[in-house]
Amino acid sequence: MPPFPTKPIAKLTGHNGIVHAVAYSAGSSSYILTGSADRTIRLYNPQKAPPSSVVPSSSAAYPPGLINKYSAHGYEVLSIDVNEANDRFVSTGGDKSVFFWDVQTAQTIRRWTGHAGRVNRGVFGGDGDSVVVSASFDGTVRIWDVKSNSYKPIMTLDEAKDSVSDVAVFDAEIIAGSVDGRVRSYDLRMGMCQVDVIGRPVTSVSVSKKGTELLVSSLDSTVRLMDRTNGQLLKAYRDDAFVNTDLRVRSTLGLNDSVVVSGSDDGMVFAWDLLEGDCLHKFKHSEMREVRGKGVGGKEAKGKKDVVSAVAFCKSRKEWASAGGDGNVVVWGMDG
Amino acid sequence: MSFKRPRASSPSSSQKRARGAGGPGKYIALGTELSPEEDDDGSFVPVWKQTVTDERGRRRLHGAFTGGFSAGYFNTVGSKEGWTPKAFVSSRSNRNKDATQRPEDFMDTEDLAEAAESRQLETVQNVATIGRIGDTQNDALFGLFVTEEETMGVKIAQKMGWRRDQGVGRKVRRLAHVDDGSAISKDAPSAHMFAPKDSRVMSVAQGQVNRKGLGYKSEARLGTIDAKDKEDRPMLALPFFEGSAQSPAPRKAAPKKSSFGVGVLNDTGSDDEDPYELGPKITFNKTIGKEKKPKKPSKFAKAGDRHLFVSKKAHGKAALGISYDGKLPLRGFVLATQIVDLTSKRKLPPPMIPPGWQSSKSGAPATDAQNYQSVADVAKSSTLDAHARASLLGESPLPGRSVFDFIPKEARDRLATLTGNVNLPQGLGQTAPEGQQSAAKAQPKGLWSFVPVLDKGTAAAALAKGATGWMPYAEDLKKRARYVGFLELRAGQKTDLPERPDEMPVSDWAKELQEFAHAAEVFKPTTGIMASRFTSSTASHQIGSTDSGNTLLRKPVAKPEDPADQAAKLGMYGPMTRSSFPFHPSRLLCKRFNVKPPPDVPCDSAPDAGDYSSKSRTEEAVSKSAMDRMLHEVLTKGAPTLQRPAWMNPTAQERVPPAAPSTEHATVDVDTNEALTQERAPEDVFKAIFGDDDDDDDDDE
Repeated sequence: MPPFPTKPIAKLTGHNGIVHAVAYSAGSSSYILTGSADRTIRLYNPQKAPPSSVVPSSSAAYPPGLINKYSAHGYEVLSIDVNEANDRFVSTGGDKSVFFWDVQTAQTIRRWTGHAGRVNRGVFGGDGDSVVVSASFDGTVRIWDVKSNSYKPIMTLDEAKDSVSDVAVFDAEIIAGSVDGRVRSYDLRMGMCQVDVIGRPVTSVSVSKKGTELLVSSLDSTVRLMDRTNGQLLKAYRDDAFVNTDLRVRSTLGLNDSVVVSGSDDGMVFAWDLLEGDCLHKFKHSEMREVRGKGVGGKEAKGKKDVVSAVAFCKSRKEWASAGGDGNVVVWGMDG
Repeated sequence: MSFKRPRASSPSSSQKRARGAGGPGKYIALGTELSPEEDDDGSFVPVWKQTVTDERGRRRLHGAFTGGFSAGYFNTVGSKEGWTPKAFVSSRSNRNKDATQRPEDFMDTEDLAEAAESRQLETVQNVATIGRIGDTQNDALFGLFVTEEETMGVKIAQKMGWRRDQGVGRKVRRLAHVDDGSAISKDAPSAHMFAPKDSRVMSVAQGQVNRKGLGYKSEARLGTIDAKDKEDRPMLALPFFEGSAQSPAPRKAAPKKSSFGVGVLNDTGSDDEDPYELGPKITFNKTIGKEKKPKKPSKFAKAGDRHLFVSKKAHGKAALGISYDGKLPLRGFVLATQIVDLTSKRKLPPPMIPPGWQSSKSGAPATDAQNYQSVADVAKSSTLDAHARASLLGESPLPGRSVFDFIPKEARDRLATLTGNVNLPQGLGQTAPEGQQSAAKAQPKGLWSFVPVLDKGTAAAALAKGATGWMPYAEDLKKRARYVGFLELRAGQKTDLPERPDEMPVSDWAKELQEFAHAAEVFKPTTGIMASRFTSSTASHQIGSTDSGNTLLRKPVAKPEDPADQAAKLGMYGPMTRSSFPFHPSRLLCKRFNVKPPPDVPCDSAPDAGDYSSKSRTEEAVSKSAMDRMLHEVLTKGAPTLQRPAWMNPTAQERVPPAAPSTEHATVDVDTNEALTQERAPEDVFKAIFGDDDDDDDDDE
């Protein structure tokens, strides 16, 4: 069991609202993109943002570590995904459209409109990130062509009966989790769609590196690891303190698919051992510390905003980031 | 018409220059020097300097990248100034004749054509009358209404030998009438047969009814028909009217004699001419376009003048026996001298009904006056009261009752005598309903008046709705119980007064009952189509049913849950919770993902046709996809559903889908592109095609 990074090494400040999306850059994963309810996307260098950093008093000044701001959204930003080449990223949010950005110029290259509701998730997919797959509140998954100038989606998958909360692309498969309690895996090669019933509204979907397992968060305070080959449940991750019944909270796999990390409704971050299923660590996001024992939660003074809605694991280092309702992103690393 | 002409480049400058050059006498220049703009020696002229002109030298194709075509000035007639600039030149020898401008000067061909078209006089409707063809020459009025076409009657008559301007009938042997005034050869034998003279059909003006208003004076009217008729009498040749108008009746004093402004020149000799008629008489004929009227005999006419028409006086005397067709009237008939007023309809008195006549078609039988009874009398004699009538008519009895239903007959009579009103309802002396018989309980009896009226059906329906579905007042169960009680009362299931909480005042209680009645009206179940469109909200019902002990409210029938959902609830993830359905990714999507499209994707799907719905794909080209799928199954020896999908294989090598063996089934190999990997054509083939160009390029370099 490799050690889990538990020490906060950076604090990315500056957002004025709940941070809904956090994404590491591709390649060396040295930068972090955050999207917030304050309608902005920010690019940070976490190495220049010490954990003691505070928001500058004047709003014009850049908080430590902030490299660039990307502002085109008119509503909250709900998801960010960076392409492999690291020069483009896609962001979605409440303005029913998918924004395709150029990292350098901070301008949108394309804005795909067509969804009838807020877009919960937008991810790159295809060969050379040639498509963008977006999942929307309108119950559809739309696939947009990056390479052409068409303003229409290549395809629309509208089998979901309710809002599609998350979508993931693995190889030639599009896995969409919906609030109707189902995870649909569209296999483009076979032309078949596998429907796995989870039972409760699905809020997060992520695929393991091998592609044979699927991590599913649902609104019954449970994160499940499903076997994609036969739809069986491999492991369910629960904890007494883990609460996820109302809010969309992302979960992710980390440390070479050995741990499961998930945010929660009450500002806690939980890390489980993938194989054993027991809770390894609990973190209080707003206090930037690890919590041991049962004495967690109950601090409702922070109000409803205290939620960890997104977590992201660095692919190259032992490092992960959690984005919370206080507008800060905490990067957790190893002690050394 | 005016056109914009390109301004001729004035040769003055060059000429001046030439002249100036020649002035000093140093050089002699012959001919006209070409202006630098006008040289047409094939030198380069930029496109924007080139102009396109038509054969008349007018500039065409200007503006809008020389694609703008215009005629005239901005596609209008004329020039920038709006007219053709022209110098006025007039001299003593050569007077300017075109002094006045006509509208036609400003019209283009279209306007001229339009004007010419509007000049044609047309009748609104072609009127066909038999035998009236060709009479337009001497008929001022009827010529208007006669068509130029030949009617069938004319055609038939012509086939039978009739000619135009002839009378109809047997031919007459007579002398020829020579109209030119030359002497008629009396000695010529009357050996020629002539067609009878054309005589007019008596026009009985049926349609013309001269109804005039009160105070109407035809004399004072401008241009009356009557005056004209009389004026044109020789032309119209209506001897029928003539004779009568001519009658020995004394003439009226001619009003023109005493009127102002009527001179001798205006006096055309007609007796009844309207002195106030507009304009000279000529104007009439002009519009109709007939020939000039034959000269009329004026007062000053010589006696020796030849009459070309039947004069009034001659007619009055000589034509005593000649009727309108030029023949003597039949024996025993006398030509009428009185005017027959055919134009005004005579009014005859209605026929006298003989006494004692009775129509056989009389409708209603005569009612016997003695047996007649007024409705009021019948109503008085009726023994039915309002309730009995309502029951006879099938109405539901009104819940409210009158006082007179309960008071005894004597009391009612006393009331009637006291008030003097004999129309009071009958006192029935009914007993009060149970529950309020006791006089001591006056309070509830008064309270009954607060209980609002509610239709029994509505109450029952609202009650039934509460039993099966939803019921208001879920938040206050006591209130709901009172509501149910009220409904039961009005549905007839209960008879006692709706319960009233102790702390509630009567006014609030009455208000609540009113609210209940209103709620029952609102929340009664919908029927028919509306009912099928709505369903009760399950959430609120669950709230109500869980903590309500009321037996009337049943738990709703739970929707049959998906077994997969049930299995998921139980945690039995696996085959129970897994299902699959085919979908059809678009070709472009497969291309973008760099995967081979599934074999049953229709090949004809255009890659960039835009929004692909998988449903629409499914419906499209079913037969073809089914064929492909079957072929695929046969080739891969197994049903695709039993196959292990490609992504289940762990290694990337096997992740490539089980490609169908290359048979007649068309496959696309993603890895190899024949066009790229094929052997390059021999070098000389390229040389034969591109060789020259290559050489040229080399030479250039």
